[in-house]
Amino acid sequence: MTARGTPSRFLQSVLHNGVGRYVCQLKRLTLVFSKDAQPSRGAREYIEEKVVDFAKQNPGIVVYISPKPCRVPKLVGEYLNGSVREEDINSKTAEEIAQLIQKMANQSGLDIIRIRKPYHTDNPSIQGQWHLFTNKPTSLNLQSFGGASQHTDSP
Amino acid sequence: MAVSCCGRLLRSVRGAAAVSLLRPLPRCLSSQSSSLQPSYVPKTSLSEPPWPEIKLPDPIVETEEHKELVQKVNSLIAAGQHGRLFAVVHFASKQWKVTNEDLVLINGIVDAECGDRIRLEKVLLLGSDNFTLVGRPLLGKDLVRVEATVIEKTESYPKINMKFWRRHRYQKKKITIFPQTILRINTIEIAPALS
Repeated sequence: MTARGTPSRFLQSVLHNGVGRYVCQLKRLTLVFSKDAQPSRGAREYIEEKVVDFAKQNPGIVVYISPKPCRVPKLVGEYLNGSVREEDINSKTAEEIAQLIQKMANQSGLDIIRIRKPYHTDNPSIQGQWHLFTNKPTSLNLQSFGGASQHTDSP
Repeated sequence: MAVSCCGRLLRSVRGAAAVSLLRPLPRCLSSQSSSLQPSYVPKTSLSEPPWPEIKLPDPIVETEEHKELVQKVNSLIAAGQHGRLFAVVHFASKQWKVTNEDLVLINGIVDAECGDRIRLEKVLLLGSDNFTLVGRPLLGKDLVRVEATVIEKTESYPKINMKFWRRHRYQKKKITIFPQTILRINTIEIAPALS
């Protein structure tokens, strides 16, 4: 199936990230889970074992834990460019949730749609665009005309 | 490594060096020897190659010119007057033409964390406004240094692979997602160690 009709964008980054230093783009992470429901078992396990380590390793990310009666536990990530991404984590183990959170922390919050070209540059050409006479001797420009030379000689 | 220049500054020297480097030696020798010996084949349009005979410059003059050229390029690099550089690097089995502050999207996993700075070591070509260094096939590690930062490790959009045969009650739908990595090229540095 062709992908021409799908939404697309060009390769980009948020606010020239990585030119000076790298800034993690995930700013806020909320874990919504239930204290007693069965699908939240993995979420509860993750909170008991791993969430403190994750928060210590990533001081740039604020982690909120909000227990409330719910069937589907959720991860809500907010990015520096304002986008919000929700992921359901029902019936997932603590290991899977850890991987999912790591993936969200590694992303930039830009739309996940088709990217048209695998590169982006602000300086497309350094030596100038190629043309027919690139790297050719400049003597090719000279053309001798018999009549013209006489004409130039006379005055 | 071969050196060729494309600026007004070094144009006169460039022609000779490029010709000598691009033309393989044995063919020229063979063409010369055939012209010297009396041939028994009658002269037709096919007895000689269609291109005009190439006269190579004197090797002694050529080495002197090459030395002068290398000196000029080295002095340019040492003075830092090369301007913006670009490089062709081989990474993830693809060749990328990159310059500073470029973004490169790589299909697949790069074994580095986000924010890590990596060095791209396979540099095939380095170009500036006035000169170009061509590796045979790679440029030396002490000569060129290209660095990049991993800024994003994400996933591709869900690609749909649909198979459908009409009137056969046959359809299959497969959705695949590939890991992707985005690199930011930080620096392209060059040392005046050309020989």
